[in-house]
Amino acid sequence: MLVKALLLGILAGLAQLDSRIAGDNMLSRPIVTGIIVGLILGDVKTGIIMGGSLELVMMGFVGIGVSAPADVNVGGILGTAFAILSGLDTKTAVALALPVSILAEFFGTFIRTVNIYFQHMADKSADKGDYKGVERSLWYGVVLFFVTPLVVVFIGVMYGSEAAANLVKMIPQQIMDGLSVAAGALPAIGMALLLELTYDKKYAGYLALGFVLASYLKLDSLAIALIGTIIAYIFYQTSKTKEGAL
Amino acid sequence: MARYSKKDLKRLFWRSWPLMGCFNFERLQSQGFVYALMPFLKDLYPKKEDFVAAMKRHLVFFNTTPQCGPFIMGTTLAMEEEYANNPETFDVNAINEVKAALMGPLAGIGDSFFWGTFRLIGAGIGAPMAAKGNPLGILIFILVYNIPNFYVRWKGTFLGYEQGVNFLTNASESGTFEKLTEAAKIVGLVVIGGMVASMVAVSTPLTIGSAEGKIVIQDVINSIFPNLLPLLTTLGVWALLKKKVSTTIVLVVILALGILCKYIGVL
Repeated sequence: MLVKALLLGILAGLAQLDSRIAGDNMLSRPIVTGIIVGLILGDVKTGIIMGGSLELVMMGFVGIGVSAPADVNVGGILGTAFAILSGLDTKTAVALALPVSILAEFFGTFIRTVNIYFQHMADKSADKGDYKGVERSLWYGVVLFFVTPLVVVFIGVMYGSEAAANLVKMIPQQIMDGLSVAAGALPAIGMALLLELTYDKKYAGYLALGFVLASYLKLDSLAIALIGTIIAYIFYQTSKTKEGAL
Repeated sequence: MARYSKKDLKRLFWRSWPLMGCFNFERLQSQGFVYALMPFLKDLYPKKEDFVAAMKRHLVFFNTTPQCGPFIMGTTLAMEEEYANNPETFDVNAINEVKAALMGPLAGIGDSFFWGTFRLIGAGIGAPMAAKGNPLGILIFILVYNIPNFYVRWKGTFLGYEQGVNFLTNASESGTFEKLTEAAKIVGLVVIGGMVASMVAVSTPLTIGSAEGKIVIQDVINSIFPNLLPLLTTLGVWALLKKKVSTTIVLVVILALGILCKYIGVL
């Protein structure tokens, strides 16, 4: 257990570093880490299923600008680990992972605050012309970004998985059924967050179009994405020609 | 004319990777930006005081979509080179002015494309597959996001250096950025509209009447306005977010309503 918890912690640290020192390739998203958690814990199938289910719910949780609504990385890994270790069903594990990821965001705030100290170290080194010191100050932040999720996930797995199992055993069946219902509605948070990001009154019709394509024509995501891309391409081309004609 | 070869610029590309390494609330990506340019600044300014001034010039607030970072770094490098060659005639303040002018609009367009379009489409197709246990969904997610991701970061490095300022003037004069951002928004909204229907699952078991005359309300809804309940749920959550209610509270509300509605048999 100790080794597995440590491996999961290292996974969380490395996943976090993807967006820190590798230019952000979305490798910390639950859909990617899920299968690796599954490999570490010896249940790849559940890992894949949990990763996909968590991604559906957390899709809208994006870190744009300074703050993020939740730590999707830590929440995703812990949620998947709990599903496997504590034998929770997918829906319960998803409902549990969300509060975990929101709580874990506290540590993200902590890192970004401590890093201000390293920023000032960079100023001082620059004054002295010590460019190696300026470079080093960046890597102190990297270390913090690696170690913090490692520790949080390690402790979470060591002490949380049993607690999660006990908690779920204590909860009466009626409430568990209610949580399952709620889990179905949770992706609405992600969708609403995405709407906050992209919605523009001018383009309300396109939102309605996507809904109609899925609801009435029963098209899948790929088909809808292709139709959206074609419309956007036509829009781009026609607005370009209009400009040229003027 | 240009001092740096393709090989040097490849180095700039690799040095751009840790842009967010010391991300902080005060100046965000500032250290990562300096880190990328460091070997070039050292090369351009052999005199210590010039080098110190150059480092301090870039230890200021910087923040953009990471995928757009290399382009801005390339543009900045071209301007630093210009300044190092003509310290008397080139206005050094222009460097940070151009950086500031670039990072906002490029963050807007970058977020729309990378967060709002590529990632969304990748997850929209990949996540439901993975949720059913198909590992191919993971591969689709990674590829749909990362092919444009690496292309833009790699190309941006060279494009920024070779024609950063010109490219920008042309693009902003012809309104290309606005149009691209709008095009990305259109794709994003169509996809979100579809996802509201396919990914939010809310339905009611309510029935009217009993035995053979029984009407299942969900069937009635499905025949007139399928996915009405998921749509209403999403609009409700969105209305709360617009009122600055935190996601934590929204989460608690959904969990509580789920339990309550299940208990009284509405959902």
